[in-house]
Amino acid sequence: MRIGIVSPYSFAVPGGVQGHIRDLAATLRGAGHRVEVLAPAERGDDLPAYVTPAGRSIPVRYNGSVARLTFGPVAAARTRRWLRGGDFDVLHVHEPLSPSLSLLACLLARGPVVATFHTAIPRSRALAAGRGIAQLVLEKVTARIAVSSLARRVQVEHLGGGATEIPNGVMVNHFADAQPLDGWPGPGGAIGFIGRFEEPRKGFAVLRDAFAILAAAHPGLRLLVLGPGDPARATDGLDAAVRERVVFLGMADDATKARMLRSVDVYAAPNLGGESFGMILTEAMAARTPVVASDLDAFRRVLHEGRAGELVAPGDGAALAASIDALLSDPLRRKQYAARAAALVAANDWPEVAERVREVYVAAIEACGRPTGVPLPA
Amino acid sequence: MWWLAGIVGAVALAATYLTWTASRVERLHSRARHAAAALVDKLNLRAEVALLLAAEASVRLGRHAEAIRVGARAALDSPPDQREAAENDLTRILRDLPLPSDDEVLADLRVASRRVAIAKEVHTDLVRDALNSRSRRATRLFRLARDLCRPTYFNIDDPR
Repeated sequence: MRIGIVSPYSFAVPGGVQGHIRDLAATLRGAGHRVEVLAPAERGDDLPAYVTPAGRSIPVRYNGSVARLTFGPVAAARTRRWLRGGDFDVLHVHEPLSPSLSLLACLLARGPVVATFHTAIPRSRALAAGRGIAQLVLEKVTARIAVSSLARRVQVEHLGGGATEIPNGVMVNHFADAQPLDGWPGPGGAIGFIGRFEEPRKGFAVLRDAFAILAAAHPGLRLLVLGPGDPARATDGLDAAVRERVVFLGMADDATKARMLRSVDVYAAPNLGGESFGMILTEAMAARTPVVASDLDAFRRVLHEGRAGELVAPGDGAALAASIDALLSDPLRRKQYAARAAALVAANDWPEVAERVREVYVAAIEACGRPTGVPLPA
Repeated sequence: MWWLAGIVGAVALAATYLTWTASRVERLHSRARHAAAALVDKLNLRAEVALLLAAEASVRLGRHAEAIRVGARAALDSPPDQREAAENDLTRILRDLPLPSDDEVLADLRVASRRVAIAKEVHTDLVRDALNSRSRRATRLFRLARDLCRPTYFNIDDPR
């Protein structure tokens, strides 16, 4: 199948949507499909061979964070040329309602279009700016995918349409086969945390309080933190002796992230809210690291109502400490969670997820009255 | 003379808009038609997979095997206006099978059901788009949809 994928965000900056597109493209290519990606980028950027740069991206405030977007006549011309040259069986756009390449490609497309919606935030500026444009874009879309049931609900309630729910993928082997970092978890055990620890909604302060309780009961226990931020400010209020046992890795690449998840006995997700999917929990599950997470809708779903990990009340440091304490003292229970998580996360493995995306491609192509090009296995 | 040029320009614009709208309406209807055909195709596939299942696992399924055979045949043979009811019956029969839902023997049926669900989702969206295009003012005023069959929703329960 010839597949054209459009990324609204630049590959030069890390992000959930970009990572999703990169892994999807790699998996589909591995399955023998011809995949090309159009993304905001400069010609000089270090890009995989199958990515076509569509020009410089401009930082725009969007959904409460800064997204780098590409828009304008040059981008439109390059998008048109890429569409014509690619001769795709199906065009797959991501976040087509953000003012971006995806929206452009959607408007210029002639054939079947599949659109994936990642965000679960109902009122996007693009929508508020132009109902008419949104209507035109959605009319071009043949089939819709939502990566979470929250994103799907936004579709149903705000855009008047359905969507097939296909969860985000994870490269299970990448995490399951990673080697722990040298010297970890260590004899005293270790807890892990990944994210912008200075953002209040990530709940690092709750984990810090929990760690202060746990440190007394577990001599040698360490806390391993990966993510951008100022360590000194984040550990404010901890005793110097306890503070020494909190190790910050700073920002790190994907390989280090996978090794980090394998380096800890328990992964903690003390978030206070605002999570729509909880990709990091899926990754911890793939790394076979038991998870203790806040009882949020998104997390409860990822952890299969608590079967794949422990759920605790958000914001409750003592409860978090108690739950982690119980896991640290019971290796058999940790193994049980790891085994259940590994079985459940198989459905999120990229080959499985990409196959489900391919089924939507086929449905979109058929709905446009075209032969699907590939025989369907019965 | 300027007023004449103005009128000619306005008429040309209106004609362009109408042509564009007409082709848009036509395209949306054609998509809905193809989506309906694709959905029926996926429903046929599911019924055929169900018949295979009844044959392959007849011992384990016991009396359920006969129910599947009857339900799947009814779905495949039903006239278009009774198809929805027949499909819902088949969905119910398949839902009540005495096998764990992750049983190996049900693997093909799981895939077939998933494809029905996707095709139904797509069909519903495209029918809605086509119906919306019919109710636009320009479409009604100039009867742009008069030669196009009115697409209808296909109301079936989600198979799983």
